[in-house]
Amino acid sequence: MFDQEKKEAYLQNLRDMVAAAEKERDNLAAILLSTPHLSTRLQKGPVANEHLRETAMNLLKRQSKRNVENIYRTCAGVTAYKVRDPDPNAVDNGNILGVRIEVFLEGKFVDKYHVLFNRPNPRHKSMLRVHHHTIPPCIPLQALAAKWMPQSQRDSSSRTGQDLVRFGRKLRKELTLWHIRKAAVDKLRVAAGLPSSTEQTKSSATEQSTYGKVLNAFTSDDETDPEDHDDDDDDVVSNERSRVVNITDIGADLAAQEIFITWSNNQIGAVVLNKDGQVKEGAFRSSDGVRLKEMERKAVGSLEGLLQRLSE
Amino acid sequence: MPAIPGKITAPNYGNIPHSHRLPVTHREVVRAFGKLSRTSLITLAQQWLQKKNRDFCKPYLLGDQDKNAEEEDDAPYEPAESYEELQEIYKELLSRKGGRREVMDRILEGDWRTGISMYQLATAEIQHLLDHPQALRWTAKRMAKIPNNRVVKDMEVTNDSEHLPRFQAQTFMTNLAKELSPLMKAHYLITKLKTLPITILRVYIHDSPYSSEASLATDSNSSDGAKAVFFIWPNGSPYIYVSLATHLGQVVGDEGRHLRDVVLQAIPKAFSRPSSRYQLTPTNFTARSLSALLAYRGPGKSNAAAGGWSIFADHSFSQNALDFVATGKLSEAKGTSVDAVAQKAGPGRPKRHIDATETQEVKRRKAVAAGRFGSSGKANDGQGIERFEVRIDDPFPPQSNSTQQQQDATGASAETSRGKRKGRPSLLDRSAEDIQEIEELDNAWVPDVRVTFSGSHVFAGVRELVEQGVVDGEQMPGWMTGEAGVTIGAIKNGRIRSKGAVPGV
Repeated sequence: MFDQEKKEAYLQNLRDMVAAAEKERDNLAAILLSTPHLSTRLQKGPVANEHLRETAMNLLKRQSKRNVENIYRTCAGVTAYKVRDPDPNAVDNGNILGVRIEVFLEGKFVDKYHVLFNRPNPRHKSMLRVHHHTIPPCIPLQALAAKWMPQSQRDSSSRTGQDLVRFGRKLRKELTLWHIRKAAVDKLRVAAGLPSSTEQTKSSATEQSTYGKVLNAFTSDDETDPEDHDDDDDDVVSNERSRVVNITDIGADLAAQEIFITWSNNQIGAVVLNKDGQVKEGAFRSSDGVRLKEMERKAVGSLEGLLQRLSE
Repeated sequence: MPAIPGKITAPNYGNIPHSHRLPVTHREVVRAFGKLSRTSLITLAQQWLQKKNRDFCKPYLLGDQDKNAEEEDDAPYEPAESYEELQEIYKELLSRKGGRREVMDRILEGDWRTGISMYQLATAEIQHLLDHPQALRWTAKRMAKIPNNRVVKDMEVTNDSEHLPRFQAQTFMTNLAKELSPLMKAHYLITKLKTLPITILRVYIHDSPYSSEASLATDSNSSDGAKAVFFIWPNGSPYIYVSLATHLGQVVGDEGRHLRDVVLQAIPKAFSRPSSRYQLTPTNFTARSLSALLAYRGPGKSNAAAGGWSIFADHSFSQNALDFVATGKLSEAKGTSVDAVAQKAGPGRPKRHIDATETQEVKRRKAVAAGRFGSSGKANDGQGIERFEVRIDDPFPPQSNSTQQQQDATGASAETSRGKRKGRPSLLDRSAEDIQEIEELDNAWVPDVRVTFSGSHVFAGVRELVEQGVVDGEQMPGWMTGEAGVTIGAIKNGRIRSKGAVPGV
């Protein structure tokens, strides 16, 4: 059994090495194929086998196509492409216009989203309609489409203006702001000394003791409230001993527009963000349910300085 | 309702608190605990013994014994002295092997012999749901804002607009209880999961004006209907999944369905705020598997990119914008690594020979299937749909000189639709406008044809049929790939009709 494991590990090691070497080779090939004037040199230079020249030219073509595409995507952020709907019954012979939105954050292209349009109306060939898309539901795609890509209600004459460029721009803004907010919440967690959300999901997957957090463990049960408070008092006492009240949890909803903060003295808070990451308003309560107006006033402002403003 | 001497039983407006207990012989308790595995039972017990949950899950300790010591002589389990001792006992049980019966008996006849609290029952049922994500049948609904004429800027996207209903658990629970408590008594447990991006609400319906422990323990009616309803909110999406908590083989009676509907109607009201009212709209999607629901009606990118469009949702359609390597055989490399992992998982299994004899035709069919289904419809992706029903509203392909036959058939079809169908009307039944639309077609025969696919993973099955050459992958209509993202629908012009403006929002 042990031998078997050892063998497996050895094989895995070999596989990793092969994969790394292949990656290196592909990388070098891409660099080589991107060399300027390579195509003219290939065409003019003498070759032993005409077939090989053809293969090389094909590879070259593929590489240069990729280079052009990537350059456009990198520089423009929103790019369009054409695909075909394989459905034999698709409208407009399956012609589909795709819009690809790149989200760039902190030196990386973190994700890309697609909106696919078709032309359902044979009379208005320029009228596009959202056919499929990969936009998460926390982005108001429907509202944006209703505003910038309206569908004409009547058949003719009332040509409602569709503005694909504005639509793409607005959608990209929404998506980028969403990613920035998510990153900002993560930064907030790190600033409070908590593991970032990706690490957290990893650790919670391994931890088996509870499957989740019961949210109404006190609302429907009045009898236990006094005992709950006993627990709280214990916590407060121990905290007063150490003289440190720290943040035990920061959570956010998926749209990253609401952030929940829990302190070790059972004080809780929730703030609502604008889309551009400004704290719009907040509500804070101490463990015995008193609203903390002072903190609520201090919370309003940019998200980055939130913890500092609250701890002042 | 028999009154218990010494206790006042009166109808009230309260909820059933977490700490109310059911006797261990109660039908619901026996059922819920009988389904759980050994590990789940131990995990639950440990969870109940945690400090924050102790108020709702009081075990039977040595200190409780003194009051009526004479009864306990024949008790099979010695009561523990303290919570800490109990925690040790369950830790020890977890570390060694044994049967599940042992743990279940210890819980029901030993440590919680005085009764299982509502909180415990609820957590046990949720645990079962997580252990068996295919146990229930879920219907996905969507929360839609009722358009408000006065507020014109309803749909405007601004810096601080929000288009999803805001979900705040405590506020929601208070509102829901306010809606429901005049109608029925209920116990609520709402849990935010760690492992999946969902929030679960379990409502245990107690059809009685009383919320006392004694009235809970008595089975108020003889009918064996489901008593609990589950609701799931996928975080960050406008959807809600609804299911009756039925047990295996349990028939859902009209009563259970009715109670579920009462709770269901209260939910959008509990979400609504002044000047933003919500309603639940159907989304034509029903499935057993939670991961399928999360893929088709979830918070992610795949809602409106099902079937072949799945290549846009994962990253197989376009590479990272800074990935300039165009020469590598990336997809092939990926394939082999997956195979390697699969083989590693079962070392005893003989190595499958990837048949080199694969003909050109087989390869072509596989490529067609890949083109139509993309990365969806894989048998082991866990996103299987068990049932897919469509009604075809396209006219029957015309045949030459067979009018007589046509008329006969029309008469027959009308008869079947009127006479044979009994019981509840199907969602697929044609509505009045559908019928009118069909009648407007000149001289076309539109029989009421319904096609139902069922199996453990319908679209994986269709994909396999394409790969085997049974179904022509190129001529196959798009709805057979599942790209419409519904489990029930009507087909017109070869496409599933979509009523909504933008799919999957």
